[in-house]
Amino acid sequence: MSTDTAPLDGALASSETHITPTKAYAPSGIRWRMMVTIAWRMMFHNKLKMAGTLIGVVFAVVLSNQQAGTFLGLIKKNTMFVDYSGADLWIVSPSTLTLQATKPMGISALYTARSTKGVAWAEPLLYGGASIQLPAGGTEPIQFVGTAAPRYAGGPWNVVAGSKSALERPNTMIFEDSERERLGGLNVGSIREVNGFKVNVGGITWGLLPFGPSFAFAEYELARRMLKIDSDQTHFVLIGLEPGANPEAVKKAIMERAPEVKVVGREEFRSMIVSFLLRRTPIGITFGTSTVFALIVGFVIVSLSMFSAVVDNIREFGTLKAIGATNGDLAKIVITQSITFALMGSLIGLAAITRIAAAIRSPKLGVLLPTQMLVGTTFIMIGMCVAASALALLRLRKVEPGMVFR
Amino acid sequence: MIGSVSKPKRVVEATGVVKDYGDGATAFRALKGVDFHADEGEFVILSGPSGSGKTTLISILGCVLSATAGHVRVLDDVITAAPESDLPKLRLAYIGFIFQGHNLIASMSAQENVAIMLALRGWNSIDAKKEAARLLSLVELSDKIESLPADLSGGQRQRVSIARCIAGNPPIVLADEPTASLDAQTGQLVTEVLHNIAKKRGHTVITVTHDNRIYHFADRIVHIEDGLIIDEKKDSHP
Repeated sequence: MSTDTAPLDGALASSETHITPTKAYAPSGIRWRMMVTIAWRMMFHNKLKMAGTLIGVVFAVVLSNQQAGTFLGLIKKNTMFVDYSGADLWIVSPSTLTLQATKPMGISALYTARSTKGVAWAEPLLYGGASIQLPAGGTEPIQFVGTAAPRYAGGPWNVVAGSKSALERPNTMIFEDSERERLGGLNVGSIREVNGFKVNVGGITWGLLPFGPSFAFAEYELARRMLKIDSDQTHFVLIGLEPGANPEAVKKAIMERAPEVKVVGREEFRSMIVSFLLRRTPIGITFGTSTVFALIVGFVIVSLSMFSAVVDNIREFGTLKAIGATNGDLAKIVITQSITFALMGSLIGLAAITRIAAAIRSPKLGVLLPTQMLVGTTFIMIGMCVAASALALLRLRKVEPGMVFR
Repeated sequence: MIGSVSKPKRVVEATGVVKDYGDGATAFRALKGVDFHADEGEFVILSGPSGSGKTTLISILGCVLSATAGHVRVLDDVITAAPESDLPKLRLAYIGFIFQGHNLIASMSAQENVAIMLALRGWNSIDAKKEAARLLSLVELSDKIESLPADLSGGQRQRVSIARCIAGNPPIVLADEPTASLDAQTGQLVTEVLHNIAKKRGHTVITVTHDNRIYHFADRIVHIEDGLIIDEKKDSHP
């Protein structure tokens, strides 16, 4: 029976009629377990507040990953040509800052490369802007690539209709699938006019859409004529090394023999492109700012929620302190809650962003979510939530156990 | 030992305790040199008007507030000389608290609220829960051990709070207006429980109250006014 009027006389009569105080104090492990239990109970007791805090973390996870993933997607779009070119080294003109149409350089660099020890192959590459005449009138820009047969280094990849070998046929080009409608609904076998030349569509690629006009490929000689480049000039030279060759040594050897050009490795060229994007375009600032703002907004929401949770439970914290818990114990509660919010919010947020990324994935917009970024996000969220609990921790330090009597 | 003819053990002794709040022109002296003591198994009531200093006194006795001057000894420890970092350990070892508003953790069951005290003392979770269930049975709440505080009546919550305060057998129980939020009948029963834990278990119970209907339970009534003890009455049992 447990009513208010239960007769308690005798109930407390026990054999414990002499008090022997003990100064036993729970070891760290037991205190941690207890504080973790209290932390979780407090969190789940107020589900509305918990949902509010989680929304803050999920918002930060989804938005920051969406922005960072889109940024990585754009970087990937701009560096994929270098990644898929198959070249270990690139000969470029000294003024080259990124992969873009530059002033042509002498073709002698190609022969210099081919006669350098350690070089397995070297091929010229033309890279410039062109325009395609649309059937209904008007023109559209394309990123024109001239690649030399039969290796087609820097040539088309992801060919989904026709074949790369179609470029061997006269006046034949390969275009990008995702831009077919924009380029006038072209198909394999269509005829189009590019830079004033009638060309046949010999193949279609998928996903070869940089941050700008889509790639269109032609055999080197055709491209040279269409871009009006002299036969003794080229834009780039792509180099494949012999197995075991030292890239740095080959690079040095070529530059000694052809001081008028610059030789860069694949990774170096990638870095140059990324650096160009970050420094010379607003991409870095735009995406960086929105990623940071997503984190700041999440930080503020979590910070205020956790502070408010401490204020709401201030009497309970005061009671815990009065009955023997230390500031360290109360900090364990808040830190446990912040880490739990971070892990739960990251789990929900990452599940959401991976589904969103899959749903919106297209050649035009790719949200890249590498595993390292997803794992890193979780750690960043833990750091953010623990930092966000600083206000709450400061408030807890000021909790006087004596408040329980007021 | 309770019931023996020997002189009861002095559990708490305060000498010349002064407490000032604030500084300068706003300074206020809440206690003006209080001498107080309580023995093992004694049930002491602190009475006095609001603002007289009784809550300040039990806060100092309970190691939750430091005195401006004077000495307070609990058993072998002079708590006024202890560094602040030691106070949580001293509170845990010596003091059980009962608050006017019960102050239970709202998200934890009655059993868990009691077990917290034991876990803080180093009990493992299973033993702490068993002991908590036993203590709740002592206050006739065996069938409420899984209940959250919100599902208990005021009297039941206060009894959980009593079970929590005696968990781990602290020698001193400090109760602040334990009947203030209860109806008269429940208040009488809760006071009876407090009286029993003094007389049958040997805790020293010091209770602050305005409720003169429970004065008859006290071994001693200490009356405070304006920061000074002005009167002490002994053996007011009917």
